[in-house]
Amino acid sequence: MHIEIDEIAKSFGETTALHPVSLPIPSGALVALLGPSGSGKTTLLRILGGLEFPSSGRVLFDGKDATGLTVQERRAGFVFQSYALFRHMTVFENIAYGLRARPRASRPPNAEITRRVTKLLELIQLPDIGKRFPTQLSGGQRQRVALARALAIEPRMLLLDEPFGALDARVRKELRTGLREIHDATGLTTVFVTHDQEEAMELADLVVVMSMGRIEQIGKPSDIRARPATDFVREFISA
Amino acid sequence: MSDVTTFRAPTEEAPIVRRILIGVVVALLAVLVLAPLFVVFAEALSRGVGEAVKSLGSRDALAAIRLTLTVAAFAVPLNAIFGLAAAWAITKFDFRGKAFLITLIDLPFSVSPVVAGLCLVLLLGTNSTLGGLLVANGYPIIFALPGIVLATVFVTFPFIARELIPVMIEQGKAEEEAALTLGASGWRVFRTVTLPNIRWALLYGVLLCNARAMGEFGAVAVVSGKIRGETATMPITIEMMYNEYLSVAAFSLAAVLALLALLTLALKTLLEWRHADALAATGGH
Amino acid sequence: MIHRQKSAMPGFGLSMGITLTMLSVIVILPIAMLIARGIAWGPAEVWNIVSSQRVLNALFLSFKLSFFAALFNLVFGVALAWVLARYPFPGRRFIDACVDLPFALPTAVAGIALTALYAPNGVFGSLFPFRIAYTQIGIFIALVFVGLPFVVRTVQPVIAEIEKEVEEASATLGATRLYTLRRVILPMLTPAALTGFALSLARSVGEYGSVIFIAGNIPNLTEIAPLLIVIRLEEFNYDAAAAIGIAMLLISFAMLLVINLIQMWSRRHV
Ligand SMILES: Nc1ncnc2c1ncn2[C@@H]1O[C@H](COP(=O)(O)OP(=O)(O)OP(=O)(O)O)[C@@H](O)[C@H]1O
Ligand SMILES: [Mg+2]
Repeated sequence: MHIEIDEIAKSFGETTALHPVSLPIPSGALVALLGPSGSGKTTLLRILGGLEFPSSGRVLFDGKDATGLTVQERRAGFVFQSYALFRHMTVFENIAYGLRARPRASRPPNAEITRRVTKLLELIQLPDIGKRFPTQLSGGQRQRVALARALAIEPRMLLLDEPFGALDARVRKELRTGLREIHDATGLTTVFVTHDQEEAMELADLVVVMSMGRIEQIGKPSDIRARPATDFVREFISA
Repeated sequence: MSDVTTFRAPTEEAPIVRRILIGVVVALLAVLVLAPLFVVFAEALSRGVGEAVKSLGSRDALAAIRLTLTVAAFAVPLNAIFGLAAAWAITKFDFRGKAFLITLIDLPFSVSPVVAGLCLVLLLGTNSTLGGLLVANGYPIIFALPGIVLATVFVTFPFIARELIPVMIEQGKAEEEAALTLGASGWRVFRTVTLPNIRWALLYGVLLCNARAMGEFGAVAVVSGKIRGETATMPITIEMMYNEYLSVAAFSLAAVLALLALLTLALKTLLEWRHADALAATGGH
Repeated sequence: MIHRQKSAMPGFGLSMGITLTMLSVIVILPIAMLIARGIAWGPAEVWNIVSSQRVLNALFLSFKLSFFAALFNLVFGVALAWVLARYPFPGRRFIDACVDLPFALPTAVAGIALTALYAPNGVFGSLFPFRIAYTQIGIFIALVFVGLPFVVRTVQPVIAEIEKEVEEASATLGATRLYTLRRVILPMLTPAALTGFALSLARSVGEYGSVIFIAGNIPNLTEIAPLLIVIRLEEFNYDAAAAIGIAMLLISFAMLLVINLIQMWSRRHV
């Protein structure tokens, strides 16, 4: 799905989190929102997901105005930095949650739910953990379960807030490849937030460098490296 | 363009739902909790302030107030000593059976005050071995001040310890250990490091314990024998007056206890404010 | 009985000594006395005394009304805790402080106040076409009063701790707010709510002061178990009083066990 961010601004009372920013995201792209802490990455991602409402501006999905769509209507697979898994449910039930929450008319039968969850568990390469509870998983496993849970609703796009932020370096590298593979397999338009320039450069097709609520540069990793648009970008990617 | 005001955060209920819920809850609380409080003062003042004050000056009322103050003067310090000792032992040391000890300390919470009084009567009443011996030697416990104090300590037993333990767990023992390495003696550490850290929790525990001690009814009703002017505490006297249709007198005495309860709650709210500020100051960096 | 690891902290002997001594003398010894009596009699003899119709009725009444009052407090308490934890509204602090009033107000004071309110000529009592004071409804109201803070105060901190992201995650997965409340939030609150329910129940079963004024105390109808103990003691019938006391103590212990089981169960996945 093609996403168009059109002059989106957001302020929380006195603080301006986003000055008007515009950004086209081509269908099927893997995009990184890169920037230091407080630059407005999470805010932008949450506006895309429908968790936050912009102070002004529009969001377009495939050319249609989606600004007024509720979270539920957007069908964005959202992966939270803290994963936000449901502690009182097994991994299986966590992944099945979005399917069970559908209105009766569109809810798949139980056998179908089981089939889909099993397939997702295989996709994240953890076929045997369905019966466990989130507290019985490692950080990396939790992250993958959160991803599978988001994928279960057959989302129109995938939004990830610092998906690898809470993990150690080795697991980060592993999961990076995992995300790339899943993205390529599903072809979903994917936006992830990071403040690690190496991660953004290595993983993304398109990098969006942000600072203080503004977009500093949009470009392929190689372009950004070769031709940083501002001093800020130059300094940030050399850090 | 869509309207900002129609957006509702996904973690919130619709404004109409909120308003209904707030309304229902506040109304129920007003009927269930505030109305009884209000009626205490209304009944006390139903024949004017003068009548209420006069009834508080009656011999029975004065004797009851004096006795209740005496009981609290014994019971509260005893519980404070216990609370401090128990909290120190539980939070500063690791030992087996700690969970069981905490359960035992909480036991009076789940025992009916009347059963507590009954236990004391069976242990120390005139027809028990121990009680008989004590009475024969001129130390009556049941139907006398010591019994009332014991019953009061029993029912308020966990109060101060319960307030102190969470605070002391949160504070850990690093500060005490630091003071020890600096050569301070145990007592000195307790007085100069621990006590200042827990003083608000201790104060609130003492207040709560005091309010409950002065208001205890069931256990005291059983052990006191309800001797007018001698073993009738304020709540017992309220009961007597009420049963004798001395409504203004009963409610005036009740109003005094209600004021004490209000004072305790006001202080608690105040301490929570201060605490919130202090937490914000240390937690926010 | 108590083994501890070596520690540089002083005062273990003194603090533990005071704790155990006071605990033993004031709490354990008297309770043990009652239990010893029960053991000396044997279960058959205890049952013999307890199983009189009047005693059974009183015990059943205490338990039944306490159960219903705790149930009411479970629903009302969760709603109240939710409102206090989530909705900012003018006067919230005041309402929050009011929740503790039943803790702080002496039971006898609450008892006569509730009676004055719900008596046939009282402010509330006169509004109803049927009697409230001196009936089981009156006892129910008094027990709701004393048990109210328990559910609120156990559930409120749990609500405050719920991560916002968990609710948001549910919404992004397509769940309506109602579905989120039912399937995500309610299960998270259940252990605390049940603990509060059990605490409220335990408190109500033993309650005396706030009930006896409004109860009317008609044997077999509005006579609660603790009152029957007091009556037996006033008749100097210590054995009968002790037997009822043992029955009530057993109920308390059972409830304590239930509370502990709930807490063990809720710690499973935390
Ligand atoms: N709910 C909110 N209320 C008030 N201010 C907010 C809120 N959310 C974000 N902000 C402010 O908006 C600005 C941008 O925050 P945002 O979370 O989008 O940054 P970020 O780039 O994701 O940073 P980080 O890397 O630290 O997560 C910050 O100044 C932040 O303090
Ligand atoms: Mg962020």
